[in-house]
Amino acid sequence: MSEKRKQEIQRIKELESINLATDDIRDLVVQTKMEVEKDNENLAQQNNQELKKFNIKSVDIVGAIGAGKTAIIEKIVEILSKKYRILVICGDITTRVDADRIQSHNAETIQINTGRECALNAYHIHQIIENKDLNNYDLLFIENVGNLICPSDFTLGTDKRITIVSTTEGEWVIEKHPMLFKMSQVAVINKIDLAERLGTDIQKMIQDAKEINPEIHVITTSAKTGKNIEKLIEILEL
Amino acid sequence: MRIMKELLKQLENLLNEKEIDLAKINLLKTKLLKDHINGLKIDNFIGDYPTFMEPVILGDKVKIGDDVLIGPKVYIGSNSDIKDYSEISNCIVFDNVTIGNNFKLNNCIVVKGSKLNFDNFSDQNCILKGKAESKEELEIILL
Repeated sequence: MSEKRKQEIQRIKELESINLATDDIRDLVVQTKMEVEKDNENLAQQNNQELKKFNIKSVDIVGAIGAGKTAIIEKIVEILSKKYRILVICGDITTRVDADRIQSHNAETIQINTGRECALNAYHIHQIIENKDLNNYDLLFIENVGNLICPSDFTLGTDKRITIVSTTEGEWVIEKHPMLFKMSQVAVINKIDLAERLGTDIQKMIQDAKEINPEIHVITTSAKTGKNIEKLIEILEL
Repeated sequence: MRIMKELLKQLENLLNEKEIDLAKINLLKTKLLKDHINGLKIDNFIGDYPTFMEPVILGDKVKIGDDVLIGPKVYIGSNSDIKDYSEISNCIVFDNVTIGNNFKLNNCIVVKGSKLNFDNFSDQNCILKGKAESKEELEIILL
């Protein structure tokens, strides 16, 4: 077995799943995983304090691929850039497509290409805010890497987290991915303009989100038509 | 991009002088990182999707290993080779440089053609140069 392959297997053992660890390294793997989680949590708290020090309101936006995260941020930024100085950090595996889209609406953008990682973590955000003059911003949006699984492992230190799903993903999407809804203050069901045509049961989606997290605000939107975007901004208290 | 290249050339010349002027080097490095390393120019690297945090500018055919984190504010010159698990931020790495596995560099300059052929090294605010097979062989100048 090549040295590189061995290292890759080791990485899986360390970070992805404890069950893959052989007995002789199990303790080490568990300990490493716990420490990584704790480090992320500490850094997230530091990020939050730093942003608060500069009176920057911050929102982490998570959601599945194609749910409309970028489109919703575009709509929000279009409205809010008239009164706030906005920084948007975009997480993607590769490319600058989303950052370019958002930048065209008068927000400064920073792209993070995470390569093989499926979520942004608190260290990424820490590195960005440490290298920026935070006096220049009032609002920070973070568009996380598109999926409904990995971002639940890493809080980033934002004031709020919103999870976006869409009617095209089917009515089971929330029920099947409860974790992020437990950790979010707002659930957005986007592409409401397509609901009738697709026959998606929106009521079930709303009910699922409420059952998973009774405190959560649920809102239906259409980034395409702009429906309820103002209301979403209101809910986010921006 | 043209101004950036000119400033990089100036920095390279300063680093080549017999008695290097640290104040001038520091000033130029800060200027480059603050005002001239902008955006994301990563279209020509060799590797499997490392992590890039904007701004990052890569020269031609930069080789990047697995689980490498590059940025923010990093320039890496052509034909340089960054091995696995390394993390580089606020740095200028000139052409034809090799950096070993698991390096963590912040706020450093790596001089053109330097070969850091060893693993597990962490430093910040310094100039690194030489052809080193171990940490002890590396020339480190504090910035």
